[in-house]
Amino acid sequence: MNNDKNLYCIAATFNTPDEIINAAKKVSGAGYTHFDVNTPYPVHGMDDAMKLKPSKLGFVTLVMGLAGASIALLFMYWNISVDYPLVIGGKPYFALPAFIPITFELTVLLATVSTVAAMIMLFFQLPDNKHPLHDTQYMKSVSNDKYGITIEAIDDKFNETEVENFLKKLNPLNIEYIYFPPVETYPIFQPKFLLLLAGIALVVSGGTYFSLNKLMFMTPFTFMMDQDKLIPQKGSELFADGFGMRKPVAGTVARGFIPYPYKGQVNPTEVLSNPFLPTKENISLGKEKYDIYCSPCHGYFADGDSRLNGQFPNPPTLHSQRARDFSDGMLYHIMTNGQNVMPSYESQISRDERWAIVNYIRVLQRAKNASDADLTEMNKEAGNNVAN
Amino acid sequence: MSQTDFHYQKKELPASLTKFALILLSIGVVLSLIAFFVDRERALFGYLVTYMMIVSIAIGSLFMVALEYIAGADWSTPIRRIPEFFSKLLPFLFILVIPLLIFNHDLFHWAHEEAVAEDKILQGKAPYLNITFFVIRTFVFLGLWTLFYWMMIKNSRKQDTTKDQNLTTKNIRLSAIFIPVFAISITFTAIDFMMSLEPHWFSTIYGVYFFSGLVVAALAAITLAVIMLKERGYFSPWMNDDHLFSLGALIFAFVNFWAYIAFSQYLLIWYADLPEESFWYLTRWNGSWAYISILLIIVQFLVPYFALLTQPSKKNPKRLKFISVWLLLAHFVDLFWLIMPNMNSMKDGYTFSWIDLVFPIAGVGFIILIFIMSYKKDNLLPIGDPKLKRGMDFHL
Amino acid sequence: MNIDYSQEAPLIAGRLKLAQIEELIAKPMDTRPDRKYYIALSISVTALLIGAVSLGLTFYYGIGLWGNNQPVGWAFEIVNFVFWVGIGHAGTLISAILFLLRQKWRTGIARFAEAMTIFAVMCAGIFPAIHTGRPWLDGYLLPYPNQHGLWVNFTSPLLWDVFAVTTYFTVSLVFWYVGLIPDFGSLRDRTTSKIKKTIYSIFSLGWRHSNRHWSHYEKAYMLLAGFATPLVLSVHTIVSFDFAVSIIPGWHTTIFPPYFVAGAIFSGFAMVVTVLIFVRKIFDLQNIITIDHLEKMNKVILLTGMMVGYAYSMEFFIAWYSGVQAESFLFLTRAFGPYAWAYWIMISCNVLIPQLFWFRKIRRSVPLMLIIVIFVNVGMWFERFVITVTSLNRDFLPSSWAYFIPTLYDFGLLIGSFGLFFTLVILFTKSLPVVSISEVKAVADGAQPAHHGGAHHE
Repeated sequence: MNNDKNLYCIAATFNTPDEIINAAKKVSGAGYTHFDVNTPYPVHGMDDAMKLKPSKLGFVTLVMGLAGASIALLFMYWNISVDYPLVIGGKPYFALPAFIPITFELTVLLATVSTVAAMIMLFFQLPDNKHPLHDTQYMKSVSNDKYGITIEAIDDKFNETEVENFLKKLNPLNIEYIYFPPVETYPIFQPKFLLLLAGIALVVSGGTYFSLNKLMFMTPFTFMMDQDKLIPQKGSELFADGFGMRKPVAGTVARGFIPYPYKGQVNPTEVLSNPFLPTKENISLGKEKYDIYCSPCHGYFADGDSRLNGQFPNPPTLHSQRARDFSDGMLYHIMTNGQNVMPSYESQISRDERWAIVNYIRVLQRAKNASDADLTEMNKEAGNNVAN
Repeated sequence: MSQTDFHYQKKELPASLTKFALILLSIGVVLSLIAFFVDRERALFGYLVTYMMIVSIAIGSLFMVALEYIAGADWSTPIRRIPEFFSKLLPFLFILVIPLLIFNHDLFHWAHEEAVAEDKILQGKAPYLNITFFVIRTFVFLGLWTLFYWMMIKNSRKQDTTKDQNLTTKNIRLSAIFIPVFAISITFTAIDFMMSLEPHWFSTIYGVYFFSGLVVAALAAITLAVIMLKERGYFSPWMNDDHLFSLGALIFAFVNFWAYIAFSQYLLIWYADLPEESFWYLTRWNGSWAYISILLIIVQFLVPYFALLTQPSKKNPKRLKFISVWLLLAHFVDLFWLIMPNMNSMKDGYTFSWIDLVFPIAGVGFIILIFIMSYKKDNLLPIGDPKLKRGMDFHL
Repeated sequence: MNIDYSQEAPLIAGRLKLAQIEELIAKPMDTRPDRKYYIALSISVTALLIGAVSLGLTFYYGIGLWGNNQPVGWAFEIVNFVFWVGIGHAGTLISAILFLLRQKWRTGIARFAEAMTIFAVMCAGIFPAIHTGRPWLDGYLLPYPNQHGLWVNFTSPLLWDVFAVTTYFTVSLVFWYVGLIPDFGSLRDRTTSKIKKTIYSIFSLGWRHSNRHWSHYEKAYMLLAGFATPLVLSVHTIVSFDFAVSIIPGWHTTIFPPYFVAGAIFSGFAMVVTVLIFVRKIFDLQNIITIDHLEKMNKVILLTGMMVGYAYSMEFFIAWYSGVQAESFLFLTRAFGPYAWAYWIMISCNVLIPQLFWFRKIRRSVPLMLIIVIFVNVGMWFERFVITVTSLNRDFLPSSWAYFIPTLYDFGLLIGSFGLFFTLVILFTKSLPVVSISEVKAVADGAQPAHHGGAHHE
């Protein structure tokens, strides 16, 4: 015997499945526990002969399968019933029948993948290409068409001569001593290896940067925002005149549009009269629209105090006698037609809203130009408190 | 176990079983007749449920026999006589179907001429749904079933004495032809006797749905008979755990198949939500029917699924016996759920009546009686079958 | 015909010894490819390149290159997807369902069929990915919220497809690899080349054929088969949901799930037989993939062919029976409308021609079965075409009816998918064992102990 090496096991090979079953029965019957049988395919009845317990792998599958099912259900429930509820096809937020397919798929996925992963890593303790059995004559023969049994040196009952005699009694083809291979070491900090790592890091990060920031924006990779469409304020190649749409035929009237008869006249001799009463609702509508459209230039109280800081000529105050003398129709006409530098607001503000603004302007004019008589009138209305 | 040490000695069934069956049958028949005079419509619907149950077991058993032949299976050969015995029910269907044909007016809405006259859709279906064609179809299918039953069982029985291997070949051919006949006939039987109870409703999967339930019921009946006989020593040296495992695994597979088919049908109708389809499920969601609908999922799928999930449970005779009884019950609930909500008086919910219970009593008695009758005539093992020895030696 | 039913027919002909089996299976990997191999490879690579060019042009110009129109928004690419997913069903079916049914004849063909599954699913996966129009954005199919916090639509069958196909691919790959581990171990121990040995060692994970491992391995294989079986059914069921949850006539019908599954098995088996006929001939595997195995496959083809025939007739019958005008109109259109030619190709290839398999002589004649299975392959492609295109080309609005005419790019992609599939198959035959070495050894004559003493517990 070679005593320089560390003995791993003694192995015996046989020719037929019956012999190996018999051998396994004898070896397990003799009380050895650290032994193994190697066969090119699973031999029926071997688990009983070796007195192996049934595999516990099923528990992994069961637990992970249930985990897959519950993760899938909870995830979907949280996603589209809680986090961003969305009605789809008139179904309830938690549409259980529609969740079943994905629940099933995830159950299967998690159960199978984790079963295999657990089998290989936990139950087999693989990958292990350094096992002493590898590259032995024994391995080569059981890999092909022989049946082998090994008794390991770490077994409590192990005794070289006894084991060898025991195996010989079983009439094996041959008996082989298998030793641990000499331990090889690999220094990690070799310049070559480090260089390789650096190279990989460079290529990976460069490739990622290129594909995410450059490649994805090259020609075939278009995104929704890059499609051929009309973009406001930009010319279009669709028609020769650079417009993306055709102008309507002359004289076309839009639905619901009533033409304004005094369009373009500076001082029409007669204008329309106000169709709205200055009710509370109408005035508050007028205030809202006035604040949006008129107040930037005319100021919140129609004083002509523009908020535009001189970017646009300030309009005159609306509290002048001239403005106060304008008829409702004239105010409406100015808004609709425009005056001097003031453009037409016809397209932004609807007819009814323009009349509402007229009413609100009247309120402003009245409020800013109150007379003493108004005060007495007000006191009369408000009662004694104000009189004091 | 080799051919030489195989001695088959026929062991008779106890007389008490015959007595038990006769008592059940007579109580059932008497009560059924009373029920028929108390509430004819309800009695007929109840009778239809039991009739379809017997059809399921009978034709499902013949299907299992045919399946063994075309699949070339050997494990099921020692127990093949059990489905053969059950398929003896087939010729009796000729008699059993008669009340349904006579009182078709009470069962089928489409048989009401005045209803058809004012219903465009029923007029469109009239070429198919009319009494003459219905009766012809029924008898053609029953005739085909009986014919195949008679030819296949005759060959199998003849083999007991002649041990002629060519008979197996003949039966394989017969089985191959039987399978398409079976598929078409059970589909239209299901459409005729169950789907057409609600003549406006339709579903292309209906035949497959009935098939999936029917196989479960037949397998459950076979397994139950096998285990009962095995427990009393009738099968003792010729069967082992692995035979039971195979039966258990088949039941498990078909329970899953039923769930798959039932879910597919439900999902598609629920998802598309077309009024001409979904009303059928909505009827089964009315009032107390909702509980029976949920119960069906539990009894026909969830309980048997978890009961048979692990490997040891599939060969545990006690559990298999329990699950067999359970699944027979489940198939009954399934048929009940398919048929009863079509009764006009039950559209708004299920109301219990003693009438629902009397027909199954008579049915059980009848099935056992037929089983005993065929058992008396035949050997329990197909002793001339060339695959018998392989079947007895079967190991996983 | 006299068959002895009292004996199980031997699964492997020629009474091969274990070492011979290994020799035979490993031979293609040990020898250099011959000229025929290169010819076959160049043909399939040419087809692949045609597909690659079509795909490149589709990427560059967009899917407007295809013949899809309004209302036929789903056409060739969806047909190809369903077709390839269907092909991909045979492998897992053979390895899982036949395993559970203890049909030992599967051992000779399982590995090959599994490989075909994986390749077919790869081919299938391409089509929905490019059909989105901007495949580089397909990452949004994953359940991950977009910038508005909106999640994917879990109630959409298209999303179920994403899950089903990826799960199916993953599980098939895992299943396949688990089956390959012991074979890698055997190959590692027989090869003399150092490079090959390194590769095999890595993939064998250091497998030692230890029975303490086999014991778990068999359990795991059983569990995987138990999961893969419903998975196979679920995948094509979910593909059928893509159509059937809609309300389009001809699509919305409840028989679709089992009908699609039967069709998938049908087409998958046909494709497996098509390829196996060549493989067993070229690699001298007639003793391992025997004519008995092919006959059994043909029986399954006959059976599933009748199942799809049943589904066709049920659809037709119920379309009439339902009294729904749109349904009855659609089915009449299918049979006698503008696409009647496709419909009758489908009926004759899928229902009528396979009926020839009722005859034992035809089932066992290699040239005849080759012709029939090729017809089945064609017929099953047309089945998907009929389902997809005929239902769409005449939709609810007669003013928008339109006839779909495929463009060259459609054909290019179809040819390309075949090119990809066969290229992968051809490369596979030379690089991995096309038959499972350990499984075939286990069913060889005298490979199992004569009496393994009572019940065997797994």
